[in-house]
Amino acid sequence: MLAVRMQEKTTGPWNGTAGAPGPSGPSGGAGGAGMLVAEGLAKRYGGRRALDGFDLTVQPGEITGLIGHNGAGKTTFVEAVTGLIRPDAGRVSVGGVDVRRNPRAARGLLGVAPQELALYPSATVRDHLRLFAELAGLRRGAVHRAVDRVADELHLTDVLRHRAGVLSGGQRRRTQAAAALVGGAPLLLLDEPTAGADPQTRAALLAAVRARAADGAAIVYTTHYLPELADLGATLAVARSGRVIARGGQQDLIQGLPGELRIRLDGADSARRVPAALAGRTRDVDGELRITSTDPPADLATLLAAGCAPVSVDVRRPDLDDLYRALAPEVSRAA
Amino acid sequence: MLPDAGRRTAAIIRHNTILMLREPGPLAGRLILPLIFLTLLHPLYQVAQGRAAGISQAVIATLVTFSLLALSIVGGSVLTERVWHTWDRIRATAVRPAELLAGKAVPAMGALLAQQALIIGVGVAAFGLAVRALPLVVLALLAWTLALLGMGAAIGVIARSFSELTIFHDLGGMVLSSLGGALVPLAVMPAWVRHVAPASPGYWAVSALRAALGSDGPATLRASAVLAGFAVAFGLLAAVRGGRGTVRSARM
Repeated sequence: MLAVRMQEKTTGPWNGTAGAPGPSGPSGGAGGAGMLVAEGLAKRYGGRRALDGFDLTVQPGEITGLIGHNGAGKTTFVEAVTGLIRPDAGRVSVGGVDVRRNPRAARGLLGVAPQELALYPSATVRDHLRLFAELAGLRRGAVHRAVDRVADELHLTDVLRHRAGVLSGGQRRRTQAAAALVGGAPLLLLDEPTAGADPQTRAALLAAVRARAADGAAIVYTTHYLPELADLGATLAVARSGRVIARGGQQDLIQGLPGELRIRLDGADSARRVPAALAGRTRDVDGELRITSTDPPADLATLLAAGCAPVSVDVRRPDLDDLYRALAPEVSRAA
Repeated sequence: MLPDAGRRTAAIIRHNTILMLREPGPLAGRLILPLIFLTLLHPLYQVAQGRAAGISQAVIATLVTFSLLALSIVGGSVLTERVWHTWDRIRATAVRPAELLAGKAVPAMGALLAQQALIIGVGVAAFGLAVRALPLVVLALLAWTLALLGMGAAIGVIARSFSELTIFHDLGGMVLSSLGGALVPLAVMPAWVRHVAPASPGYWAVSALRAALGSDGPATLRASAVLAGFAVAFGLLAAVRGGRGTVRSARM
């Protein structure tokens, strides 16, 4: 019996239009009046170009997943936005404030969770949150409310009096993220905020990020955990060699990538009937033929026309993992 | 109502005071050790220089030497921020480098002044140190404390590890203290030491304190002004170096 099963790893239809705005949407091009606008950022360390024409615009309420291999320029970009490094060229503005000309005013609009844990071991969770709330300009009553809200969101209420040095890894991650969120900044830079985090930490953090975006904050979220970006409904910016090589909604970027047609054929010699047009894209994995395909229905029709008799057919849709694996030449072409 | 800069600085001061008091060991050590040193060695100084001059020299030697060693409190508070990556985290807020340094300096200043007040107080109460012009002594102590804060902040941003910091404050502190004539009067030191002594902040600290204890206003002011100059120079170095972008502080 022919069985057809669709494997869905991503949200939304393969060729559908659901999801985040695409390249032509509000965040698609640099130079718009975004909460974050980076244009042509360049930074060189010795002979290495950490940033090489990095463009990115993020609108209020938008979550942008900034992905790329290690060394792609993600963290350097975050450091340029925070003013911790000075780019050799290009400009970056936060809420219309030029970071180079008025770095303090720009930083006042930021909430930052750096990639590395940056906590005071002898200070309590409340000490941390209070400090960053006050540095964000909140007054006394607002400080307490903000601390209580973010502690509740990130499940830190029970450990507010605990020193950071005695917290678990997940609690430290949440404390770090809470310190970024507590000030209510309109732009959040979250650099791998769930690295090494447990599922509970990840779920709490993602919920808090979604809530901040719903409140209108623009969020740049770097990660290697791609399912998080699907959960967040984030737009994507794919970084490679110091620049953004692909930008848009998840479905828009995935759309151009091939998925896989997986079939098992009836009869041992049936595989020999696979037409030459498909043979170059076909590999045999434990008796299952896997055909790389951008159009599975057409490829399946080709197989049937050639006399192949499938006993099962699976279609694996392209997902963010495929995009990530294809970051280099494939995504460059897609971009 | 404090302006924004004042509120930010106050928040950092409070935070750093909390950090210092939560780990009181280094502070307690810097407060107790000099009192032991003074108690044990003041008879030696009195035998060498007479009762009044001897106790004065013993107090000055203890104060300058151990306050230089207490640079570890200032430098350590800056270096630990860099090791914990919190330095860049704070710099990614609206805080100015000067606010950040002031926020760290004030609690450290309190610790240094407490140490010096304790030494002077014990000198007066237990060993008969004569303080005839208290305002001059306070002026000298304040000037010396500011110089220490500048030096401490500078080594805190320059040192790349706790090993380097230890070399700076232990070896450097002892050298500056000795060159300044704190432990042994310059009059009995080799001629070359007397020539290079004015390059040491310790020399001006000894000069300011000796002049203050001798009620010599002009000499106290002159030496205190030089100490203030050291404070400004080292403080600027710390602000410039600490405010500059660091490349991946994870290197530390």
